[in-house]
Amino acid sequence: MGIDYRGLVRDDRVHSSLLHDDQAFAEEMDRIFVKGWVFAAHESEISEPGDWVTRQLGNESVIVARDRDGSVNVMANRCSHRGTALCWEHRGNSSSFQCTYHAWTFGLDGRVRSIPFPSGYDKPKEELGLDVAGQVESYRGFVFVNLDGAAGPLRSHLGDAGYALIDRLCDLSPTGRIDLSKGWIAHRVKSNWKLWPESDSDGYHVGFVHASMSDTTDTYYDDVAIGGEAVSSSRALDYGLGHIELDFRPSFQAELSWLGTSRDNVGDYCAALEEGVGTERAEQMLWDGPPHAFLFPNLFLGELVIAIVEPLGPGEMIHRHTSVQFEGVDDRFNQRLLRQTEAAVGPASFITSDDAITAERIQSGIEGTHRSWADDGRGWIDLSRGRHREERDVEGVLAGDLSDETTNRGFWHRYLEVMVERAPA
Amino acid sequence: MSAADLVSEVEAFIYREARLADEFELDEWESLLADDFHYWVPAGRIGGDPADQLSYLNDNRARVATRIRQLKTGKRLAQLPVSPIRRVVSNVEILEEGGGEIGCAANFVLYELAVQSSGELRVWPGHVRYRLRRTDGGLVMAAKWVELVNAEAGLRNLTFLI
Repeated sequence: MGIDYRGLVRDDRVHSSLLHDDQAFAEEMDRIFVKGWVFAAHESEISEPGDWVTRQLGNESVIVARDRDGSVNVMANRCSHRGTALCWEHRGNSSSFQCTYHAWTFGLDGRVRSIPFPSGYDKPKEELGLDVAGQVESYRGFVFVNLDGAAGPLRSHLGDAGYALIDRLCDLSPTGRIDLSKGWIAHRVKSNWKLWPESDSDGYHVGFVHASMSDTTDTYYDDVAIGGEAVSSSRALDYGLGHIELDFRPSFQAELSWLGTSRDNVGDYCAALEEGVGTERAEQMLWDGPPHAFLFPNLFLGELVIAIVEPLGPGEMIHRHTSVQFEGVDDRFNQRLLRQTEAAVGPASFITSDDAITAERIQSGIEGTHRSWADDGRGWIDLSRGRHREERDVEGVLAGDLSDETTNRGFWHRYLEVMVERAPA
Repeated sequence: MSAADLVSEVEAFIYREARLADEFELDEWESLLADDFHYWVPAGRIGGDPADQLSYLNDNRARVATRIRQLKTGKRLAQLPVSPIRRVVSNVEILEEGGGEIGCAANFVLYELAVQSSGELRVWPGHVRYRLRRTDGGLVMAAKWVELVNAEAGLRNLTFLI
């Protein structure tokens, strides 16, 4: 029986069966991860010709490779002959990909380079290449992929807001370029993947889930997020298209709060930024810092952390993160960013380890619900907080208090749109 | 000191350190640390400059103190309640000795019951490099580097003292 997504995703609540249902998961992998745009990699990870990384995009393992002409290709990590995975490492450099089963060899663009004993085939070898992604587009190094190629241009997915959020991060680098090549750390969590866009953009939980952190150490989160509506003027924003932000900018009490330090401790960084964009603009940027935003469906711009949400099954996922590194700063500055990332995010971190536990407790709480319960009023998750007070600003952005579920609703609203629009006819 | 005596002394220290960590005797565990203690769990193999890598955990003395304070708040969800854990440490080897310090290594297998969430029994196999220092009060730990067998595959929460 088909899933009635409209019945299960309402304006003020979502049915929890969508967080564990096998059929919903299968349909999400198709409608969101195959038929839509997803974030795959960053160009700084594959800076040289022949560099490649592997990534899991929904059910599809892909290779993201830098070709000799500088272009970025995305192809299935699966031999077109008998299906053997081609790459076993997470990253590498090679001039081609050779299958270990029958030594079929493919170029960096996925085309067949050579097949042993080719006279055994009467097909043209053009028909025997790897499955390649339908569309690949980069913006400021962020490589986005649409596997089936029918999702329209990247602009229709990112919207102006998506580009602007990426700009706000990259512009903080003195050269305008960031580097994400320090490697990714995989945090394995027994929860549905959709709980992380929610958690990463939930401003309501911070003072509760992260009380042990705020009791232990002084961070800027004390000013911008802890305490919810009582002390903070931060906002929860829904830009549309599923792109959402916890906007801390109104709450920062000093420049460079987002680095947890002051001008004296960052070497030439401020001067370099001023040289690039002018004193006035630099002053504002140093105050505002990077965004804390989630781009639908799988990219977390977590201030100076970038994370990918990687679904593995209805109740299993990886939160994979790396540290943003700026170009044009000294090593000490970038090492500060590495240490800040380690403190905040990952299995041994002070912050997201508590989010992981929370996600697993949610999963445990909802795993027995069934979508047939929806009509009986059972098994719902309430997401109504702040509906009566959120407002659309002049630019069309829906804004609530930091503690309001404006962000969560924004994610689910887009989820509903794509699950309905991209349903098979 | 004979080689056998040195091994015995080092083993006694390592076993005590392991027991204190297993039993969440956090203050006593912290009392084993040198002021310049470095605690490191790399994302892959031990190697290269730790400062220039993104790791699971890369604590200087101040940060490990924060880590312990967080565990002691009673609000640390990821260890509420704390995981029952027990580790077996073996294959202890002295790698180098000199300048008042002893470099040594061991293998371990740690079992954790994740009582805070899924209730699973988790297995954490790995290798440890210690740098121990002689002081008037006995040995202290100047560095503990932990190389997990499954580091590159990704980890569940690692919020006890490994």
